[in-house]
Amino acid sequence: MSATSFGWLVLVFPVVGLLITSLGWRALPGRSAGWIASAAILGSFLSAIGALVDMQDHPAEERHLVDSAWTYAATADLEVDLAILIDPLSVFMCLVVAGVSFLIHVYSVAYMGGDRGYARYFAYLNLFVFSMLLLVLAANFVLLIVGWAFVGAASYLLISFWYRRGTATAAGIKAFVMNVIGDVGLVIAAFLLLSETGQLDYLGVFEEAPEAFGRNDGTLVAACLLILVGAFAKSAQLPLHTWLPDAMEGPTPVSALIHAATMVTAGVYLIARCFPLFELAPTAADISAVVGTATLLMAASIALVVTDLKRVIAYSTMSQIGYMVLGVSVAAYGAGLFHLMTHAFFKALLFMGAGSVIGAMAGAQDMDRMGGFRKAMPFTFVTFTIGALALAGFPLMSGFFSKDEVLAFTIDRGGGYLVLGIVGYLAAALTAFYAFRMVFRVFFGEPVPEARELERGHVAHGEPMNPATGEPEDTDVGFPGPEHHVAERSGPMKAAMAPLALLAIVGGIVAVPGLTDTLEHFLEPTFEESRFHDTAPTEGAELIGLVIGAIISIASIGVAFLMYMRRRGITLELRDRFTAVHSFLSHKWYFDELYDAGFVRPMATAGSFGRRVVETDFVQGFIVGGSTGIVRAGTSFARAIQTGFLRAYALLLVLGLAGLVLYFLIASS
Amino acid sequence: MDVVWFLVLSAFIFVIGAGGVLTRRNPLVVLLCLELMLNAGNLALIAFARMHGDGSGQIFALIVMVIAACEVVIGLGIIVAMYRNRLPIDIDEMSELRG
Amino acid sequence: MTVHLSIVLFAPLATGLLGAVLPRGWARWSVLAGTLVVLGYAMVMLADFESGAGGLQYATDDEWIGELGIRYQLGVDGLNLFMVVLTALAWVPCTLWAAIREHDRAKLYFFNLALGETAVLGAFMAQDLALFIVFFDLMLVPFYFLIGGWGTGDRVRATTKFVIYTLSGSLLMLAAAIALGVLSVPDGGELSFSLAELERRSIPEGSQHWIVLLFALAFFVKAPLFPLHGWVPETYRSTPIPVLALLSAVLSKVGVYGFLRIVLPVMPEGSQHWQELFIVIAVFSILYGSIVAFSQDNIRLVIAYSSIAQLGFIVLGIFALDDKGAQGAVFQMLNHGLVVVPLFLIVGVVALRSGGSESLRELGGMAVRAPVLAALFLITSFATLAMPGSPNFVGELLVLFGAFEDKLVYGLVASAGVVLAAVYMIRLFQGVMHNRLGPRAESSDLGGLELAAVAPLVAVVVALGIYPQFVVERSERATLEQIAAAKQHAESRSGPELSVSK
Repeated sequence: MSATSFGWLVLVFPVVGLLITSLGWRALPGRSAGWIASAAILGSFLSAIGALVDMQDHPAEERHLVDSAWTYAATADLEVDLAILIDPLSVFMCLVVAGVSFLIHVYSVAYMGGDRGYARYFAYLNLFVFSMLLLVLAANFVLLIVGWAFVGAASYLLISFWYRRGTATAAGIKAFVMNVIGDVGLVIAAFLLLSETGQLDYLGVFEEAPEAFGRNDGTLVAACLLILVGAFAKSAQLPLHTWLPDAMEGPTPVSALIHAATMVTAGVYLIARCFPLFELAPTAADISAVVGTATLLMAASIALVVTDLKRVIAYSTMSQIGYMVLGVSVAAYGAGLFHLMTHAFFKALLFMGAGSVIGAMAGAQDMDRMGGFRKAMPFTFVTFTIGALALAGFPLMSGFFSKDEVLAFTIDRGGGYLVLGIVGYLAAALTAFYAFRMVFRVFFGEPVPEARELERGHVAHGEPMNPATGEPEDTDVGFPGPEHHVAERSGPMKAAMAPLALLAIVGGIVAVPGLTDTLEHFLEPTFEESRFHDTAPTEGAELIGLVIGAIISIASIGVAFLMYMRRRGITLELRDRFTAVHSFLSHKWYFDELYDAGFVRPMATAGSFGRRVVETDFVQGFIVGGSTGIVRAGTSFARAIQTGFLRAYALLLVLGLAGLVLYFLIASS
Repeated sequence: MDVVWFLVLSAFIFVIGAGGVLTRRNPLVVLLCLELMLNAGNLALIAFARMHGDGSGQIFALIVMVIAACEVVIGLGIIVAMYRNRLPIDIDEMSELRG
Repeated sequence: MTVHLSIVLFAPLATGLLGAVLPRGWARWSVLAGTLVVLGYAMVMLADFESGAGGLQYATDDEWIGELGIRYQLGVDGLNLFMVVLTALAWVPCTLWAAIREHDRAKLYFFNLALGETAVLGAFMAQDLALFIVFFDLMLVPFYFLIGGWGTGDRVRATTKFVIYTLSGSLLMLAAAIALGVLSVPDGGELSFSLAELERRSIPEGSQHWIVLLFALAFFVKAPLFPLHGWVPETYRSTPIPVLALLSAVLSKVGVYGFLRIVLPVMPEGSQHWQELFIVIAVFSILYGSIVAFSQDNIRLVIAYSSIAQLGFIVLGIFALDDKGAQGAVFQMLNHGLVVVPLFLIVGVVALRSGGSESLRELGGMAVRAPVLAALFLITSFATLAMPGSPNFVGELLVLFGAFEDKLVYGLVASAGVVLAAVYMIRLFQGVMHNRLGPRAESSDLGGLELAAVAPLVAVVVALGIYPQFVVERSERATLEQIAAAKQHAESRSGPELSVSK
């Protein structure tokens, strides 16, 4: 089988899984829907490996395989095929997406076990994986937009999966609308590219671009910025980020899969995919780098004060994606994608651990109520800590190498990029601090009642309530499931977390400075046209970077240790002393309030203005009223003549007749 | 005989009929006057027919008579119905069809 | 010369008449059979259609009123093929939906439904301007009776408004059509209303201007577009559901179809003259419809105003006077119809399960025991908001690309409508299906026959989403021919084509 056939198989498996789980939901017994869905994703993963093996057989310069199934839409000067592109970048993304998705499917088999919407959940999950794979395999911009929007739709469905929660549905609509804004950006960008290059296929556009556009050509910069709108909306970068923290309303495995490991990194993939455009439009690339850096700093700062466990990880995700965006924007494609991969491992792991803890807390997510789970949940504790270490960039963990490679490349570009790199290191310090803030607050300290109960051998069962608002949950239909699951007592959850923990530790070996450059080498055919192909920081610089990173990471973990283990009250003191800062951070820099005042409320006002004033006064009053007024005036005149007075009619008749006679007399004379 | 005489007579009868329709309030008399007007028309038609030596005017007059008969039947029917319902036999009171 | 189109055209009417003489209770099945005959014929035509060939297929051409040059001329090409298919596809589920319920005066009800189909098919297939107008006005008759006789709420007021609005539009159009016929007579030539003949004749440009405007008034009322949509709220509120589905899906398309069939090819200069104005109206309708849909409480009215926005997109595509735009408009005409029918039928299902309530405030949480209903509703909602992957996306993409090509600013403003569509459709879906169960709502899934009415159209939508080229390929040639004259004129006006920011 050829690589492209494998590529199609990658897409076919999740569709089959989707069809089986969605059409057979009534007939599938027990947990079989989950296993069928997982098997489908495993099939995708194996097919992706097949594509990889087959592609490696081709010589390096021929590793861009396009295969078209049929013409999607062709008219006038537009031609779009339903085609996939197999190249190292897409295969790499397929492997990461399908691999992590498979593990999260397995985790979900147990985690979502008691939920009434079990089959529906796996149908959505398969739909998501299909969309994501379509997104990365698409060979042209239109198909990319299709995958892009499908991913957004699947994300919407999964965020509002527990659709009886008002908070969940509100979060869903927010995420969906933000994503649609991104879609529209991509549509306009696609048009600009089409009108200048006459193509929509990636390879065609990239080939034509250097001739069609000058360096920093206005149209191209506009197109790139619009692509960035799409990328930022999906990847939760400033200023389109506000949906991501709210997206934590979804089930925890969803947060792990979509809102950490795969979907939100689509923006990074897109920037990397469009690198020939961004290198022609360095202004756009610089804007992207700045936005990425700003996001990573802002998100890390918010993560310091948030107390909802899942939302801390969500802000951490935004911040880490900021690193990736920075990486691919400064032409460190290998480094950015490397961080994408390691982040997928450790962030999925962190969410899985958080899910386990939330299970033990019977659904509560507030860290203020947690503590001392170390003894009760040894497996979760170990894996979560591994994830936190990788996130913090602790020496020799996977995140250590990838984050520092991004920063090393950034600093190597010199000039203004130096500032970005320094901000990156600053945020790295914050990252390590909040990562261990979570570890220390959840697993250390005095065990809470739930932890003690678990030590005695049973999982706590609290009143079902909405973790965000605290209002009691509507459980008559079993959303979310009445029972809770922790990793310690569930085979599938352990089976999913263990490999991820291993990968979070050793995932860095694919690109250790001075030793290995497997990933870089593998991705080379995609990025060999890059102007920055040969520029890389020297090994010495990278090693210095690693040392700085290690020092920052260890120091920050130490500070967290001091503040949360040695002198527990100090955080409260700090909060009281810097109230303004704290409230600024805990209001998430007031973005929600800003959008509410800037868009949501004006929209609602415009809507009710339209309904109340324009509809009633203008349309009904002026247009309808005006025309009916004329008709009414006419009819009332006609009615006035119809007196009902017979002799009046007769008189009119006679007068009319006399008039006619007179007319003829005058006319004939 | 000159056709003008016939026409003058016809016009006289027509005007008498029209005046009656306009001034009288009893529906029976109004009907009578209508008949006068119709027959004035018939007279004119027959006069012209004779002048042209063509039978179509006479046929036309016959048709007018038939219509006049129908009209009288309906008109008298309405008057009888009104009488049965004890409504005033006065056309000025009959203004149900006012717009 | 074939008789096929006449059979298609009069099959519904014949079964309607047959139903009137059959015993009580048979009328519905007779009319349903008629709609199925049309559907079968339409499918055969679709399979048999030669996408490469130009000109009309299955043309019928007979003298009708010789003195006035009016001919009985029918024909199908790539432009109206899918309108005929849409009509056939829309009428079957709506008739089925009506057939599984009891009605007073059922014979008359179904006769009117059948007459409606004949009238709409006639308007789509007519190749003679006078014949088009006859059918265009004939459409009004059955719908007048259907809304006035079987509507709910203040149906008299609604019907009166509907009829006055559309009739005044029609009268203007009639005047315009007569003027068009008379003014186009060449020296020593004869009066003709045949569209092909009218295209060949030339009309003085000054007269074209006001004739186009009169046609546009009639079509904008029918569509409807802002600000001529005053009849919409009341009519939509009181029309029975299957009739409403047809009204919104098919009747609204006759007007915009008229632009492509009559106005653009016959009066290219006049069309180009008003291009800017019509685009402004279209863009305004998009924004206005979306914003008002966003704040409506009645679910029918959400869809009503969303239709105004969708029709705005279609008119934008037509008057972009661009190949892609026109293609998108034609495709979108089909898509909107295909999506709106299941959407309204679902509204009907929802109303049946909520004690007749159609207010978002009183609904909610219906997905619980109705997964099939929720899934179908979700797919149609996504298609309505033109989610990529749906056929509506391809239509809107082409429309927007066409608009960007020449009228970039208007295109950009219109694309805000895409975002707003996401807001109001998701709000609608959530308001009905999600959150807590509404006070009067109960959740139960679709019954077998309800499913049979709704699901096939949803399946067609999904299939078109996977293979939109099926439609684009077949409609391409005819569509491009229809706009060619106006486009050429627009290009000669604006001089050499300006490209973006070069």
